[in-house]
Amino acid sequence: METTDFSQPIRQSSKGIIIIFAFNAYKFFKRFFVLFIAFGVSLARKKTFASLTPQTIILIIVGILIVLLVVAFLKYLNFKFYLSKDDFHLSTGILNKDNTIIPKSKIQNVYIKQNFLQQIINVVSLNIETAGDNKSEISIKALDKPTALQLKKELFNKSSLTEDQIEIAEETNTIFFKVSLKRLFLEGVSQNHLRSFVVIASFVFGLYYEFKDYFIDLKLKQRIEEMIHLDEESILNIIILNSVFILFTILVSLLFSVLKTVITNFNLEVVENQKTIEINKGLFNKVSLSLTPSRIQNIVIKTNRVKRYFGLHTLSVKQAMVNVKQRKNFEIIALEKDQLKHLVDKLLTNYNSNIEQSIPKPYYKRILALQMLALTSIINIPGFFIFGNRMWYINIALLLFSVLYILVTYKKAYYKIDTEFITIGSGFVDTTTNILEIHKIQAVKLKQSIFQKRRQISSVIISTASKSVKIPYVSDTEAKSICDYLLYKVESQDRDWM
Amino acid sequence: MFINQQIEIETLPKLSSVELKPISKHYFKIIILNKLIVYIVFLGLLIAGKFKIQKEAFQDNFVYIIGIVIIGCLLNFVITFLAFKKRKYAIRDKDVIYSKGLIVNSMTTVPISRIQHIEESRSWLARQLNLATLKIFTAGESGSDLKIDGLPLEEARQINDFLSAQVNGNN
Repeated sequence: METTDFSQPIRQSSKGIIIIFAFNAYKFFKRFFVLFIAFGVSLARKKTFASLTPQTIILIIVGILIVLLVVAFLKYLNFKFYLSKDDFHLSTGILNKDNTIIPKSKIQNVYIKQNFLQQIINVVSLNIETAGDNKSEISIKALDKPTALQLKKELFNKSSLTEDQIEIAEETNTIFFKVSLKRLFLEGVSQNHLRSFVVIASFVFGLYYEFKDYFIDLKLKQRIEEMIHLDEESILNIIILNSVFILFTILVSLLFSVLKTVITNFNLEVVENQKTIEINKGLFNKVSLSLTPSRIQNIVIKTNRVKRYFGLHTLSVKQAMVNVKQRKNFEIIALEKDQLKHLVDKLLTNYNSNIEQSIPKPYYKRILALQMLALTSIINIPGFFIFGNRMWYINIALLLFSVLYILVTYKKAYYKIDTEFITIGSGFVDTTTNILEIHKIQAVKLKQSIFQKRRQISSVIISTASKSVKIPYVSDTEAKSICDYLLYKVESQDRDWM
Repeated sequence: MFINQQIEIETLPKLSSVELKPISKHYFKIIILNKLIVYIVFLGLLIAGKFKIQKEAFQDNFVYIIGIVIIGCLLNFVITFLAFKKRKYAIRDKDVIYSKGLIVNSMTTVPISRIQHIEESRSWLARQLNLATLKIFTAGESGSDLKIDGLPLEEARQINDFLSAQVNGNN
């Protein structure tokens, strides 16, 4: 393996020009998307746009592309980086020269990504994240993979280790978990389809809204009305049409879920290093992330009845100081139970799940019932207008659903507190387990409404740097002693939260 | 040597035994002023409506509508007054406590070792009344940040100094 010397200022791979060009062109076209549509429409109608002939327009577009290419080339020339002993240096800018220096110790995260274009020309991008807001992120768009890996290693390499020490560290890397296509497929099938349905519905509505005028042009409405008019001959037809429609939506949601799961998690791989855990995944957008146990704030384990049958568990890790876009990537899906246990043990040392669990007061059921009541009444108002008297049947179904919801949700709620960890269980369809380390708590909040005061019931809300979790509706004294205990734990130990 | 003593939950310092201090009474003036502006805008809109909207249903029931609005305002005012008395704070050696809310009461505690930075802000009104607002930021989600309104300026400065010294001392 050839090694690159990072002590001298170097440019990224020359293929970077293509990447920068593509990125800029994409951004440019995205920004002026509406304008382009206007172009297209008026061209189709009048053969000209703002008294410009198609030839001139093409010339203008070519001109813009050339400018973008030149800019990309200049950007590439002016993008130089090097490593000194403790810092990472980067200089950018064509006219405004920017010089960025990041001390190695302040680097929070380094991750390697590869999108579709980068896969074709075989380069990767390397992102360096520091604490602070989202903008303080550095991205090197085109590096060949060995260089990127080497750079990543050297960025994390704070003290100057000797060569063979690094070699040893490398040998201990083991691929701990690799997902098979079959399991990914199962994971996709057993997902919460309601969510993907909502995504699709909003997407369709969004599209419809954007192109409303065109639809009106196409006289789609009239055609549909004609169709419905024909079908009105018999109620049976309508029922068939409706059930076909419902079946179709369910199928589309299913397909969407499966595709989404497979594409984002394709070739999911969990690599165990000595201290960190690395996740590699993605089909079109390959990402590679590393998890450091000290930075983990919350761990959430999710499964549901169907998934448990197939032995599928999802582990998501919430880290502090990770930018929003990256957050959802810290998710490992389709884990077997023992694999899950192993990972949890690795990320949380001394985690013990076999302690006595406590449950919220039955008052929680009342709150859930109130929630369902509110939901039902909201559904009922438009419901009666649409369905008329048939709404009563729907209400009976809703009532049964509410009872089920209350009983299951209450049954799944529990909390456990030991000397190091808090575990909180919740969920209705999903079974969710939230684990956090006590010394990572940022604030503790005691919450009680005026109605709960009479019954002496309170909730405790525990915030870490990435998430707030709630211990719902326990007795007043219990809540207070939880608060006292947690505060005592946080304040008496001088442990850092990160 | 590693010691792992058993903790007696009973002997831990208790949140409930902390004596919380109410914020400055003068801050209520600021709240009243803000509320009054809202009420006046509401009533003003209604009265303007009386002259503009010609619908009979509206004109006939105008007395009732304005009555409901006035009762609503009064109720809101009473609740605000009672809720104001619930705004209390306390500083302990190791943490800051702030409690508020009448209908939903919450008591947030932030350990001093988790404070990222502190901000003191004063609006124009607060400057006239010699009050200050203390904002305490943690690294957590926005829910875990504390904002204590209506502290006497002197006290806000003292708390600020104390907390800053503690935070810097810890690092």
